[in-house]
Amino acid sequence: MAKSSLIANLRADIPASIVVALVALPLCLGVALASGAPLFSGLIAGIVGGIVVGSLSSSPLSVSGPAAGLTVIVFDAIARLPTFEAFLLAVVLAGVMQIALSFSRSGVLGEFVPSSVITGMLAAIGLILILKQIPHAVGYDGDPGGDFAFSQGDGLNTFNTIAFVLREQVIWGAAIIAAISLAFLFWWDKAKPEQGPLRFVPGPLVVVLGSVAINALFGLFAPALQVRPSHLVNVPVAEGITGFVNLFSLPDFGQIGNAAVWTTAVTLAIVASLESLLSVKAVDELDPKRRVTDKNRELLAQGGGNILSGMIGGLPITSVIVRSSANVGANAASKMSTILHGSWLLLSILLIPAVLNLIPLSALAAVLIATGYKLTKPDLFLKRWKQGYTQFVPFVATIVAILFTDLLIGIVIGLAIGFVFVIARNFRPAVTFVQDGDSCMVRAKRNLYFIHKVELQKELDHVPDDTTVVIDLSATSYVDLDNIDIINSFIKNAQYRNINVIVRGDIGDRTAPLIQAPRKEVAFA
Amino acid sequence: MRDYKHLLLANKAWAAERLEENPAYFQRQTTGQQPEFLWIGCSDSRVAPDQLTNTEPGGMFMHRNIANLVDPGDQNLMSVVQFAVEVLKVRHIIICGHYGCGGIQAALEGGVHGHVHDWLEIARDVLRDHAAELDALPFERRAHRLVELNVRDQLIKLAHTDVVQQAFAREQPLELHGWVYDLRDGLIKPLLEIDAGTPLGDVPRPASVLV
Repeated sequence: MAKSSLIANLRADIPASIVVALVALPLCLGVALASGAPLFSGLIAGIVGGIVVGSLSSSPLSVSGPAAGLTVIVFDAIARLPTFEAFLLAVVLAGVMQIALSFSRSGVLGEFVPSSVITGMLAAIGLILILKQIPHAVGYDGDPGGDFAFSQGDGLNTFNTIAFVLREQVIWGAAIIAAISLAFLFWWDKAKPEQGPLRFVPGPLVVVLGSVAINALFGLFAPALQVRPSHLVNVPVAEGITGFVNLFSLPDFGQIGNAAVWTTAVTLAIVASLESLLSVKAVDELDPKRRVTDKNRELLAQGGGNILSGMIGGLPITSVIVRSSANVGANAASKMSTILHGSWLLLSILLIPAVLNLIPLSALAAVLIATGYKLTKPDLFLKRWKQGYTQFVPFVATIVAILFTDLLIGIVIGLAIGFVFVIARNFRPAVTFVQDGDSCMVRAKRNLYFIHKVELQKELDHVPDDTTVVIDLSATSYVDLDNIDIINSFIKNAQYRNINVIVRGDIGDRTAPLIQAPRKEVAFA
Repeated sequence: MRDYKHLLLANKAWAAERLEENPAYFQRQTTGQQPEFLWIGCSDSRVAPDQLTNTEPGGMFMHRNIANLVDPGDQNLMSVVQFAVEVLKVRHIIICGHYGCGGIQAALEGGVHGHVHDWLEIARDVLRDHAAELDALPFERRAHRLVELNVRDQLIKLAHTDVVQQAFAREQPLELHGWVYDLRDGLIKPLLEIDAGTPLGDVPRPASVLV
């Protein structure tokens, strides 16, 4: 995208980037916490994801950063590897591998994900966001924000956490802030004026500022309701330049011979690439302008991001759907928004950590709940339902699988089910059998793929003894080798049944030479 | 887009697809043609001989006129037959009529003038020669039967032509086929066959296939 258009969209991109940065901040910290990594490593990944990946990527709306979907892998790896610095080396290597994937054009694999699975994933993430953020909204922070696993580290799961929290743990101040925030967000979504400067005011930004103000008012007039620091954003406050520099760490290149580093790197490269491709594809579907991102370029951008993030002590990065959809929801227009969001993250921890630490987590939870609702609107379910069961079943299966396992396992299940339906939906009969007295024809009216094996065998079985049969392949440009085997077996058997076989070949003359029967075609000279 | 542009675009796509299948597709057909069949059929746009027999280009020599009529004085038809038999040495000549033939309908009921009216005189000969059988039929069956009898009579006339008789005399492999294409089910229904051994003075009227 040309530089001029990046700047031309600043009026939309600046407010959007602020909203995304405010959504990203607690998520970066939450993911780091859930990964068992230093909190600051999450912020580094967020900054690099915004500035570096944002600059390199061609996606206009995707936002990258530390991913909740990777927390299980990262937690495991950090526990297994000798040092955090060894893990950082694995992150760097994973980035190099992603760049290799980019140059081998593996990004195209992302295009083969059925759209029902992608929208299913979005809807599931929306539901999870809502379910997982309800406890945070009422002041319970037992499960780190942004975790997608059904079973949580605290021994509870998604559903009984809500019950538990609502019964025992409601912090009224936090709950009031969340309720006001949510009400405002839904109202503002409908009431936002179409004209005038007010239309540029993002609801989430108002909510965040408002919540700080409300909490301050609680402090003045109703101290019992005031949300305590444990339910506020908590960014590390560095002491001077040295303190800030000390927050970074470098990878330990001495671990390059450690096999565990390499297996971690390969796992990260594969899973992070997959998550990024899915996320970018999903964001393309959310894009009001429906722009299409170059997937190979995206892998290059992600690889670059991971190399840098690993080099300076950050977590692995992927394109992340929650921040991206917040970006879409805040009306971002170009990738300037994601780049700026990284800059704001950087500036905020440099300049105003103390101010950020005033924001109640329950206000951010409200923002995430509203984001979640937009991902899983009843409208979406209705739309898929109307497209018939071949779209609806994989869609719902993906949602259910993600809800009851986690993001990655759920997507794999959704993909498996999705592909079964795609194949079923794409299957069309290809073989015709006709008979006229003692002559008959078995004709392929289109290409004979592997899935046509059963049909081909069935139609060949119709050929009676003592006949002449024409096997007509003239309409094919491809016959799968398995099908050629079936035809040749039939021909071999035919001589014992007094069946005379003639082949009418394909135009390309690729299949006919492999069939062991005399040919009959149009001749020219 | 003007209508004829569709034809040009479709042709471009067709040529591109053939080339994609086989880069030598067009080059190989520059060497000549060796069709096995001569098709004499009706000009009706619904009766597309190569499409309804899945025949590739190069497979069928063709002559089409209104109501698939044979007139030994028609230089157009006779030159096609001569070239097909003597040079291309086709092994089969097919005359194919069809259900719902407008020419046959007009021969039966009139309503046309000028060239079309004059041309259909050949079909009206058939109508006169089989008046007894046709008059005995219920009105709605007459056109169907005339389509069939027309194919028979044109095929016999074709067999009598000098080109075909000379081919028979020199024992060139050649068979004549009379067919009817049924628009209603897309099927070709064979009526009769003539070869060198058929006594032309005694060709029976075929059983009706357009029922």
